[in-house]
Amino acid sequence: MNRDESRNELGILKIHRNVISSISSIAASEIEGVKRVGRDLKSGLMALLGKSFSSAIKVDISKNEEVKVEIPIVIKYGYNIPETANRVQENVRLALEKMSNLSIKEINVNVQGIERG
Amino acid sequence: MRFFTVLGIVFYAVMIMVIGLALIVFAFDLFLPADINNLLIFAQSSQNSRVVIGLSGALLILISFSFAQIILGKFQRERTIAFTTSSGQVTISLSAVEDLIRRLAAIIPEVKELRPNVVANKKGIIVEMRVVLRSEANIPELTGRLQDITKSKIQEVLGVDEQIIIRIHVAKIAHDEKDNRRKKDSEKDEPAIPFGGYGRVV
Repeated sequence: MNRDESRNELGILKIHRNVISSISSIAASEIEGVKRVGRDLKSGLMALLGKSFSSAIKVDISKNEEVKVEIPIVIKYGYNIPETANRVQENVRLALEKMSNLSIKEINVNVQGIERG
Repeated sequence: MRFFTVLGIVFYAVMIMVIGLALIVFAFDLFLPADINNLLIFAQSSQNSRVVIGLSGALLILISFSFAQIILGKFQRERTIAFTTSSGQVTISLSAVEDLIRRLAAIIPEVKELRPNVVANKKGIIVEMRVVLRSEANIPELTGRLQDITKSKIQEVLGVDEQIIIRIHVAKIAHDEKDNRRKKDSEKDEPAIPFGGYGRVV
């Protein structure tokens, strides 16, 4: 399933997984201590080709409309990793719930690296 | 997963052995170039054999690709520290821990270069460091300090209770370029001329 769908009296509302990915990326970057959202092979190749919209954030929408998000992040040097990762999870959950009314199942954070702030 | 890994290893071993045997047979003149030519002509002569050969090629590529993915995925999974929070799982790449340790070199002036390798297993977190020290450093005192700092920094940043083992290998004791430059500069300073300032009106 590529999109999350909801129906009202006027029609169907579809939220593409890229939207969920963008919200998660912005929410994660807002946290102090997060240097940037990490990259995977695909997004790295896309960035090389000049297509910066490809995100390494993986979004999985299950049949019962539960969302699972996997976010790779790079943390600034000197920040406590579990604390920062926890704050990222909370902020992403809040942002997704506030903006999309989606039911969030899991927000998995993958700390890819540490860089100087 | 283990079954597929074993299957992959056996497959690659058999393939390499077949190539090795073919090379040996060719080296002993047991297989003539004409025979190879005949075999290739026979393989290309019928439609069916070409289809079979083509499909075998595609299958070999698929097998290689899937095994590479399994092996790489396995390596990637092993190189992380994971813990679960109420919102989901947090995985910390061991290369992130290595980055963190590398930054410690900047804190300790006696350490010129530091190359960490972090492994996480049942024993705990094992950090192996290859360091290059500056010449004036007292090695036992410095390595002890480095172990303490690294251990406390990992505990503080990762917040893990697991045992942390730190092994240090002093690979080289480098000559400090700054000191050398300072010495050279002082040698270059011209000696004071006796009575140089004599007669100067202030």
